[in-house]
Amino acid sequence: MKQQRKVALPRYGEYNCALKYIVEQGFETRCILPPPLSRRSEDLGARNSPDLVCTPFKTTLGSMIEALESGADTIIMVPGACRLNYFGELQEQILRDLGYTFDFINLSMYNTGKVKDILRALKVINPRRSMVKAGRALYEAVQMVEHLDDITSLYYQNCGFDPSGSYPKIYKRFLSDMYAAQSLSDIRDGYARASHAFADVELKKPGDPIRIGIIGEYYTVMDPFSNLWLEQKLADMGVEVHRLMNVTNDMFRGGGKNMQTKIRDFSEYSMGANSTADLWQAQNFAERGFDGLVQVKSACCMPETDIMPVLANLSRDYKIPVLYLTYDSQTSDVGLMTRLEAFFDMLEMRKKVAR
Amino acid sequence: MNSVINSAENARNAFLGIDVGSISTKAVIIDENRSVLAQEYIWTEGNPIGAVRKLLGLLEKQFDREAWQIVGVGATGSARRLVGSIVGATVVKNEITAHAVGTTSFHPEVRTILEIGGQDSKIILVENGIAVDYAMNTLCAAGTGAFLSSQARRLGIEVEEMGYYALQSAHPTMIAARCTVFAESDLVHKIQMGHPREDIIAGVCRAVASNYINNVGKGKKICSPVVFQGGVSKNVGVVRAFEDLLSCPVIVDENGHLMGAMGAAILAKRSLKRTVFDFSVQNMDFVTRERNCGGCSNNCEVICVYRNGDLIDFWGNRCERGAAIR
Repeated sequence: MKQQRKVALPRYGEYNCALKYIVEQGFETRCILPPPLSRRSEDLGARNSPDLVCTPFKTTLGSMIEALESGADTIIMVPGACRLNYFGELQEQILRDLGYTFDFINLSMYNTGKVKDILRALKVINPRRSMVKAGRALYEAVQMVEHLDDITSLYYQNCGFDPSGSYPKIYKRFLSDMYAAQSLSDIRDGYARASHAFADVELKKPGDPIRIGIIGEYYTVMDPFSNLWLEQKLADMGVEVHRLMNVTNDMFRGGGKNMQTKIRDFSEYSMGANSTADLWQAQNFAERGFDGLVQVKSACCMPETDIMPVLANLSRDYKIPVLYLTYDSQTSDVGLMTRLEAFFDMLEMRKKVAR
Repeated sequence: MNSVINSAENARNAFLGIDVGSISTKAVIIDENRSVLAQEYIWTEGNPIGAVRKLLGLLEKQFDREAWQIVGVGATGSARRLVGSIVGATVVKNEITAHAVGTTSFHPEVRTILEIGGQDSKIILVENGIAVDYAMNTLCAAGTGAFLSSQARRLGIEVEEMGYYALQSAHPTMIAARCTVFAESDLVHKIQMGHPREDIIAGVCRAVASNYINNVGKGKKICSPVVFQGGVSKNVGVVRAFEDLLSCPVIVDENGHLMGAMGAAILAKRSLKRTVFDFSVQNMDFVTRERNCGGCSNNCEVICVYRNGDLIDFWGNRCERGAAIR
């Protein structure tokens, strides 16, 4: 009998816990977690990537190399709505040229939007496993992702106002619960425990706190390592940080139907990738009276660059300041801190005058 | 030392603001009414600690220590954290806020602040005396003071004289403004084509201004009155180029280079923290060391600052593990 596979997905925020669940519970196969993203992952990725490709390519490639070093023999790459859809193909070639031996499951090739095609792609992980059981694990993993996004957004909205310091502990515990979950009840228990624990913390929040909405490019905006812990940094200044861009809203709940129609005052056509969702979210934040917006993108990201003039119009019409941040493989966060502090000071002063 | 303490009893309060940029280091001492008691401007020369010590020495000579007592210190500029811990600053603020505060207190009517420094450029939009929007260059330092210095060197003139030459030109040379690297090759090409030096210098000044408007100022509504500051504002060629591009007068304050320091001093005055500042820090020995934590794969670079051999401050660690290595 062929030896069991060891499957890995490059690090992507905390979503690796969901893949781990699918692989282990759905296919009864081992899942390898690559080490958390680090400067080393980024260096490895940058060294072996085309120079002008966007940072997520480099980061995920670095993480794939680290996964292979950790013993993985099967790599999964996700599809995307922009050129990320082609990344898997190129990354596979680069890894083969580097001399690694592995199987590559490129989900872009099965990107039809149908669950049965995704299952067909994943079936190679363990062909003997019943597809019904694998399908059930897939649905349970979707619930895990929904809970993860719920707890994460609660966390960043409130952790800046928690004098007791228990928020980070609860969040960490929740994440390790998700990585360790073996059944739907484990997922639900972990979620319930975290939500109750959050509810029990006494927050010291002013009636009208500074609220910032984060929008931006899919990977960089969701991966704290790639955006240099932007959300945590803002929260630590005492900001309610909101982000609608996450896997749940994008894939399962949808940012609302007819988003393009809802933003027709600003943009009539889609500019590719998640530009429409971004603009709709920006407009949504602005209409809800947020104090500021932060746009996160990696250098050379075309859809996000294209929406900048539209955001400028939105900023002018709603009188909401926008901070544009461009990330490349940087390690120092001094420049980022300068811009965030200044943005925060400005919003605070505006608010004082408005009161 | 005794005389200092005695005199302090009936001395009036003063506030020190220090702005340590990549190229120059600025400081002012102001009184409660924001009048300047002492001011100084020197080159950083890649040595912020040395620059601050020298600066304090120069300020001390201008300053009547019998009549005034410094009770608050604000630090700003790219070396604010380091300088803040050396001088024991009561307020450490980023330079964008410091500039906005400094400029709006001297020009309350201002609507747009243009600022070009040695390594960065920013735009601050002001409404009713408070900053409502800003932008700062990211990733790229094209069109800042450093570019002007290197082009002045290539043309064999001092950077301070550039404006003088630029004003003599009637037909500024067209120079690509998008990117410093392209601008430079364009410039070399135009030199080799025999363009007069004045025209080339005027072209460079124009390139700096239009690069700024197209990048940092993109999508921002620039309203008059416009104040232009930062080291590059001393170049009349760039000022003229901005006036042409914006078709409105551009105000350059003679103290424009001090606005960051002034803002820092005002913020120190506004904050409620009070500590008596002693000029003796200029005689102390400060060393910074960078140490790699190595506690995990992040390999945080922890910056440690030592005064006379004792650790006084450290930063750069992302978790508690980094605090242990010292």
